[in-house]
Amino acid sequence: MATLSIGADDLVDNPTPRVPVSLCLDTSGSMGGSPIEELVRGVNLFYDAIDEDDDAHDSAEINIVEFNSSAGLVHDFASIERLQRISSLTANGATAMGAGVNLALDTLDRRKATYSGSGVLYYQPWLVLMTDGAPTDNIDLAVQRVVDLVEAKKLTVFPIGIGSRADMNTLARFSPNRPPLRLDGLKFKEFFEWLSKSVARVSRSTPGDTVKLDLEGLAGWAEL
Amino acid sequence: MFKEFHYQVRGKGHLRDGTPGQDRTGYLSRGGVQVLCLADGAGSASHSQFGAQAVVDEACTMLVDRFAEFSASDDGARVRVELLGQLVLKLNNVANRHGVKPGDLASTFLCVAVSGKRFLGAHIGDGVVGYVKNGELKVISAPDNSEFANQTTFVTSGRALESMRLFRGSLDGVAGFILMSDGTGESLFDSRTGELARACAKLIAAVGSAPAELSKTSKHTKRLRRLMDLKIRAATKDDCSIGILGRNAASRSDGAA
Repeated sequence: MATLSIGADDLVDNPTPRVPVSLCLDTSGSMGGSPIEELVRGVNLFYDAIDEDDDAHDSAEINIVEFNSSAGLVHDFASIERLQRISSLTANGATAMGAGVNLALDTLDRRKATYSGSGVLYYQPWLVLMTDGAPTDNIDLAVQRVVDLVEAKKLTVFPIGIGSRADMNTLARFSPNRPPLRLDGLKFKEFFEWLSKSVARVSRSTPGDTVKLDLEGLAGWAEL
Repeated sequence: MFKEFHYQVRGKGHLRDGTPGQDRTGYLSRGGVQVLCLADGAGSASHSQFGAQAVVDEACTMLVDRFAEFSASDDGARVRVELLGQLVLKLNNVANRHGVKPGDLASTFLCVAVSGKRFLGAHIGDGVVGYVKNGELKVISAPDNSEFANQTTFVTSGRALESMRLFRGSLDGVAGFILMSDGTGESLFDSRTGELARACAKLIAAVGSAPAELSKTSKHTKRLRRLMDLKIRAATKDDCSIGILGRNAASRSDGAA
């Protein structure tokens, strides 16, 4: 046998498959005060938990879309190493949920195209939609896009109602496979802890794995 | 004759989760036909290690017995149907024996068979088949992933027949073949460029230039296993498996497999 000398240059170092997660957050006027402060704390805790998990740290890429009277990008997709913790979000205006969801879906589409163009494998994208109220714009197109993607198994969606005034019937339209969740009080911390663990579970999956989300883990803080 | 090496090692993720290694490899040589097979059991399938073993065993036997017929056939569609049909039949029997559904035995499938001056092979799902021909390292069959990283096609999938890639050719100028599961592919296949790592050519050359047929305890075999156990396995959480056929220049000039 010829001398077997395999060095690092003889091997390839493929990029880790990515999990794109879009947080689509209601920052309308009704979120002012404690809700928006708790939401910011929850998002930062989510970032910290992702950072601490070896698998999720390498895989997760997160962006934030906010919606109030219009929709906007708080920050684009980035790995946890490049993400700055958010210092604050400003609550004001109406609840343009349709615009927010459409923008989130557009950013996910662009991110997937970037992955494909550079040969980076990726897992099914996640959309987390959080609101404390009801939409003030037309959501029909956004609902149709989400439902089409979920039914084609191309998107995992988590519609989350914050507090008692969240319009759960509207959120249900975005979730054909499971009922939306209502946060028990302002327990963003528990929700984002669960979300980070779920991202980590997906990051560890290999071809053929069916990733089952531990929805029972939500029982302590949400009404299903 | 080609010399061969095949091996599988349980992945770090499987060790952490307490799940068994689900990759299997097999080799059979009989009547001048050499067959090398590899199957990667699906993580979501409860008994996929049994399915992977059954697929490897059945394909080795079938291809040894029917190499001449398949190699000469111009009806690739029929060969596909017969090959897949035989594997599915075997899986149904194994499923009955274990009291599970065939889908619980899901695995990918990669194989290469050589005899005389010809080779043939087949591939369902992810993993890679490559070879060295006229000194060039080339991919014969690349991973068949769906859009997402944790999805692929298995022998038991509804679209297995459609997904199966069948290939054959002349052994002129061929120094050897390499089969790998996706776990091994993380070190030996560049998903961005679609090319094999340089190590693949070195591995084929190393197997081909071994002084004699590789025994399980030879120092050459141990060296190859050590590479898999340490470097290849370290780069992934998944199981890693590999199959290599190699021959030296003298064998190639003889024109005989």
